[in-house]
Amino acid sequence: MNEERKGRLELYFIVAILVVLLGSAAANYAMIVANPNSVPSDTQPIPAGSYVVRVIATQWTWSFEYPNNTTSVGTFTVPVNTNITLVATSVAGAQGSAVIHDLLIPQMDVQIYAVPGQNNTVTFEPTHTGSYYFECVEYCGEFHYEMRGYMEVVSR
Amino acid sequence: MSDYVTTLTIYGGIAAVFAIVIFAVYNLLSTRKDIVSKLASQDGYDSEGQYVRDTLLTKPREIGLSIFVNDDAKSIGLRYIVTSILFFFIGGAFGLTMRLSLTSPNLTFLTSDEYNVLISQHAVLMIYMWAVGSALGFGYYLLPSHIKVFRDIRGTLSSAGYWLWLIGGFIVLLAQSSPRWYFYPPLSLQLNQNGGGLYDWLSVIGIETVLIGLMITSITILLIVIYDRSPEVKRENFSLFTWSIIFTAIMIIVSAPPLIAGFGMLFYDFFHPIFFTASSGSVLLFAILFWFWGHPVVYIAIIPYFGLIYEILPKFTGGKIFSYRSGVYGLGLLLILSEVVWGHHLFNSGLGFAWVLFFSTTSFLVVIPSAITVFNYIATLWSANKIRMTTPMLFVINGIVDFIIGGVVGVMQSSYAVNADVHGTYFVTGHFHFIFLGITTGVSFAAFYMLFPTISGGRTYNVRLARLHFYFTAIGSLIMSSSWIVGGAMGMPRATAGYFAFFLPYQLGSILGGFIVGIGQIFFLWNIAASWLKSPSVDNQNMLETPSPIAIPSGAGEGQ
Repeated sequence: MNEERKGRLELYFIVAILVVLLGSAAANYAMIVANPNSVPSDTQPIPAGSYVVRVIATQWTWSFEYPNNTTSVGTFTVPVNTNITLVATSVAGAQGSAVIHDLLIPQMDVQIYAVPGQNNTVTFEPTHTGSYYFECVEYCGEFHYEMRGYMEVVSR
Repeated sequence: MSDYVTTLTIYGGIAAVFAIVIFAVYNLLSTRKDIVSKLASQDGYDSEGQYVRDTLLTKPREIGLSIFVNDDAKSIGLRYIVTSILFFFIGGAFGLTMRLSLTSPNLTFLTSDEYNVLISQHAVLMIYMWAVGSALGFGYYLLPSHIKVFRDIRGTLSSAGYWLWLIGGFIVLLAQSSPRWYFYPPLSLQLNQNGGGLYDWLSVIGIETVLIGLMITSITILLIVIYDRSPEVKRENFSLFTWSIIFTAIMIIVSAPPLIAGFGMLFYDFFHPIFFTASSGSVLLFAILFWFWGHPVVYIAIIPYFGLIYEILPKFTGGKIFSYRSGVYGLGLLLILSEVVWGHHLFNSGLGFAWVLFFSTTSFLVVIPSAITVFNYIATLWSANKIRMTTPMLFVINGIVDFIIGGVVGVMQSSYAVNADVHGTYFVTGHFHFIFLGITTGVSFAAFYMLFPTISGGRTYNVRLARLHFYFTAIGSLIMSSSWIVGGAMGMPRATAGYFAFFLPYQLGSILGGFIVGIGQIFFLWNIAASWLKSPSVDNQNMLETPSPIAIPSGAGEGQ
């Protein structure tokens, strides 16, 4: 293979890689810009008309506060086909201090850190009723693995 | 308060025993030093260290106790290689213990606290002591031959770097803390079982020591390349391995200082909180400082091995590297781009929209140089007339395949939507174990096997056992990491001592894979032990110390 052909082959490969990667990056960019509320943020306002669930993480339980001021621990319930906003924070519990946690609901593609001193918000919309597992995926101490449970999506 | 008194007593006692041992060794060595000193003065040298280094300059060295005493570059390289293999086995044993404890969704023979200690130590030992240590080892061992150093005068500094690194590693091992390898406050500031563990402050000192050791070593490597290389070795003739070690040293020097400062502030916070928890700033400030080092360090553990692959491939394909120029630019671009992607570890932490936009885009771009590098490898293999499938070559080809798999599942996570699903799950674990086992570990073993005749003083390894070592490592890591990736895509969380029962099949798959890898390493130990018992039978030369021929880009070399 002569030098010129080698250079050309390499150029084609780099162009192909650039097309694939820049295409993916552009698609990703467009997706984030179209859904800014899917990115957890400490500063963005809660969308109007959203069903707000306050998520409070301690070492090592999750508790949830609903708009009607009721609470639940370890599991939570949200209505289907509704815009849900989670507002997550972390506080010192009965036996620990406020550390960083991370709530992941894999089937909803929702993940939000519970950071002491921050009120992170993220918005999603469940479209099917059912029971979905969630878990803490940011290491938070001795019983980190016990911070898991189920989110129930019920019809309105 | 009494806790600290107990701690001081225990570690004071350990330090005293250590001091006695050191004194005994010193006494032994001073006798030996007198002899060397006499020889040196006969040859007209003032310093016996310099006499030893000049005598050994770029000569092949073999493993023995003398490598811990002589401060020539090659001895220091062998020290790093031997020590890092030791830590690989310690870290590997921790990994297997964790795998074994996960046979049931509930706790088995480990308490969750013990599990957390093991996971923290597995990460720290494997990254700092194995991956980075063995990279620096091959760098120190091979660089003097590749750049044909005309003098070896930086032994004291290099040796200081090595000992700091080693002592730091042992301090981390002794501290038995459980903050994971990223020490996020406020968790790492909890000095009890709930959080970082009683002696977490000690492991901060340990990591600080390791980092300072790495800084000293990297600066020394750059000094050697700049000032000590033979004038006949021009910049455009550097071997690709030399380039990769230069880039690695630059990355360490650029990325480590922020974290060294960060750990200093964290250490102060243990006793009198000022910086991360008592201020009105976010606790994420430390996470930002950490990942500024924490992401580049995974490239620090990869780039030197990319360089080694560039050296090993032509040895068994009988040709040249497809393109020297794209090799250098690929690695150099990787150095630059990998410094600006660290924010992707904090996508969901609430740092917001602009943060995610910037770092997800840069995370896509960092794949370009990796792809160029892999293309270069494949093109080299493609244009070869004949490929000799020796054991090192098998490790290298498996490493390239594993890097492609690990890289593709890695770039998927640049997409914010995918990242939100898999961040913090075993998907990430699978991604980097593919790369660390395929490239870092596999290529280290490849280079070790190639150096074996030299470092064992003319012995040969048993090819059949080496093949078994390869097949077990490759197949085991494929099964283990694939199980993790599939489980992780379903949301199987990392770093947990227990899990939802429906994740059991993926955990069992990774346990099977992990144990196959473990058995493979027994073949390695057996092979080394059996080969060492045989008497030397071959010439102590190896192929790695001669740089591979390079195609000089047209136009280069003018104006010199």
